[in-house]
Formats: sequence, C-alpha cells, structure tokens
Amino acid sequence: MTLKNTPDRWGAVSQSLHWLIVLLIFGLCVVGLLMDELPRTPKYFWVYTAHKSAGITVLALVIVRLAWRLLAGGPRPVPNTPGWQHAIASITHVLLYAVMLGMPLSGWLYDSASGLRPFKFFGLFDMPKLTAPDDGLRHLSHTAHEWGLYAIIVLVLMHAGAALYHHLVLRDATLARMLPRGWLRLPASQSPAKES
Amino acid sequence: MFRKLLLSSLTALALSPALASSALAADYVQAPGSTLVFASSYDGEVFTGRFGSFDTKLSFDPAKLEGSRLDVTIGIPGTKSGNGERDGTLLGSDFFDAGKFAQARYVATRFRALGGDQYAADGELTLRGVTKPVTLTFTWTAGAQPVLKGKATVKRLDFGVGGGDWADTKTIPNETAVSTRVVLKPAP
Repeated sequence: MTLKNTPDRWGAVSQSLHWLIVLLIFGLCVVGLLMDELPRTPKYFWVYTAHKSAGITVLALVIVRLAWRLLAGGPRPVPNTPGWQHAIASITHVLLYAVMLGMPLSGWLYDSASGLRPFKFFGLFDMPKLTAPDDGLRHLSHTAHEWGLYAIIVLVLMHAGAALYHHLVLRDATLARMLPRGWLRLPASQSPAKES
Repeated sequence: MFRKLLLSSLTALALSPALASSALAADYVQAPGSTLVFASSYDGEVFTGRFGSFDTKLSFDPAKLEGSRLDVTIGIPGTKSGNGERDGTLLGSDFFDAGKFAQARYVATRFRALGGDQYAADGELTLRGVTKPVTLTFTWTAGAQPVLKGKATVKRLDFGVGGGDWADTKTIPNETAVSTRVVLKPAP
C-alpha cells in the first residue's frame, strides 16, 4: 500500500486518518451522550476530561487530514458515477469536515465559557482558554455542540449509507479503496463476468 | 406642667443606661447598594459567588465598642456563581444544602479596634446547621450613610460545605474568602 493517494485508491496516510477519526468520533458520540447522566462529582470528572481531550485530538487529526488532502489530493470518482451523485458526495464530505472542525471547537468554547475548572489535555498540560467565563456564550456553544451531534449522525448515515450502497448494490470499489488492498472483494472490477 | 414633664423625662433618659447606650451606639439597617460575596477556586480556577440575599442590622459606635452588635441574615437559595451547573452543585446537599438550611446567620457582639478606621468583630457564623467562631475585619467609614467594608475567612469544611467527594482541599481550598460592603442607614 502506498502512502500517497493514487487516482484509484486512498493511500495509507488518508486511510489511517479516516478510520482513526471514525473510531474517535464514535467513542466521543457515545461518551458525549452518556456523560450527562453521570453524577457531577470529582469522581467522574476524568470522563469529561477524556471526552474533551479526545475531541481536541480529533481537531488536530482533522487539520492534518485536511492538509494532507490538499497536498496529496484524492482518487477520482469510480467510473460511471453520475455527476449528481459525485456532487452530493462532495457536499457531504465538505459538511463532514465542517462538523469535524466545528464539534471540537464548540466543545472547547463551551469548556472555556463554563470556566468550571482547568482543562488539562489528558491530564498532561493546561489547554488555553478560548474565552473568559460567559454564561451567554456557554449556552450558545452548548446548543451548537448539540446540533453538531445531530448533524454528524445525519451526515455519517448518508456517507456510510452511500459507501455501503456502492459496495453492496453497485458493487464498485468506492468502499474498498478506503481499506487496505484485499480486505474487501471487488466483484465489479475483479470479476466483471460475474455480473452478466 | 409641661416643664415638669420634660424635666422628668429627661432625667429618666439620663438615668437609663440602656437608653443612653443605644443613643450613643447608633442603630443601622442595610441600605441598597450592599454586597456580600465569596471567592473560592477549583483546581486553581477562581470563581466568585453572590449569596441569594442578605440583611444587616448593626448597632455600632466606634467610641463605645462594648454595646455594639452586628447581626447578618443570609439567604442561601438564589446563590449564584456565574455558572448554572456549579450553582446547582453549590445549592445541593454536598455543599450549602439550601433545601434544608435556607438561612445562614452571623452575629457578633465582641468588637476590637485595630487602629485608624479598622475594626474586628469576633462573632459566630451559623451555616448549614453548624455554629463556629468567625472573625470579620472591617473598615468603618462614617457619614450620613456609613459604609462597613469587611473581609472574613471561612473554613468551609468546619461547616460541612463540600464534604465527601469534594473534601480534598488541594482541589477546593478549605479557606473561603468572604467579603462584604454594607451601606447603612439609620434604623427607622
């Protein structure tokens, strides 16, 4: 597997970033939803710190990923993809990037505006504050963080649904090329005879 | 008849030490513009809070501290610290337990002059059902509406404020700074 992206496949760097961010976002969503149920005592504050730290990790990874995407480009759409499908996919990708940047930023802003305690990145060092404590901004950023979650759910369903549609129904390489070579069979490209 | 009555009442006034002392140690009540705040921190993150309400009654004469008395009633519900989540915790059973102990009270009858316009009141604070001595140091600015500007240090754990999970003083210091500025007006 090459590091760089080719016209047909995503390279190792893009694939690693993609799936690592998938795992982190999944964990963040689950913990984020359950966190509200925790008793608000120091015993459980590490969960909040872990959530915030993982979120900042996603922010850093998404910045790296965007830079790599601009530098290394991406593969072309699989052959015979209608223009409107490619357009919807591209818009979804842009929105996914927007929400992947917006979620950590709104969460960080919420933490800063709350001003409850210092935010130590995985307990290692103090994160800078984006703002002084501010009740209005606290509500605003919390609302944004909540709507961001709904946006993620909708966008991920669209994105993953399209990937599965390509793989299972259209039987093309759209999903397989985001995975190491050989992980998924490519009936359409490897054995076109099967289709007929 | 009138002169006689006036004379006898003046004599009675002069002879009555209680009346004489209350005439000297002027009685005051709290006027608008007064504040009572506390400051603490969590992991070094400083926050300040404002009690829901408070009401001050004061008899004070700098020249005659013996007859002086300070009586402050503090309403716990409605205490705000700039963050609704923290306020919920502060008013909850781990901290002030506002549902059970809606009122705190500070009463001082022993006053000391510290020089200049500085004084100290050695009083007792009742908070969360516990009564312990607390000293209030203050400056006194005389006038038509005298101003008492004071500071006290309250050891929160003495009163069971923030026990259990919150008891670690490395996270929340035991010493809580309380400061007040009471604008006073003559009692009606």
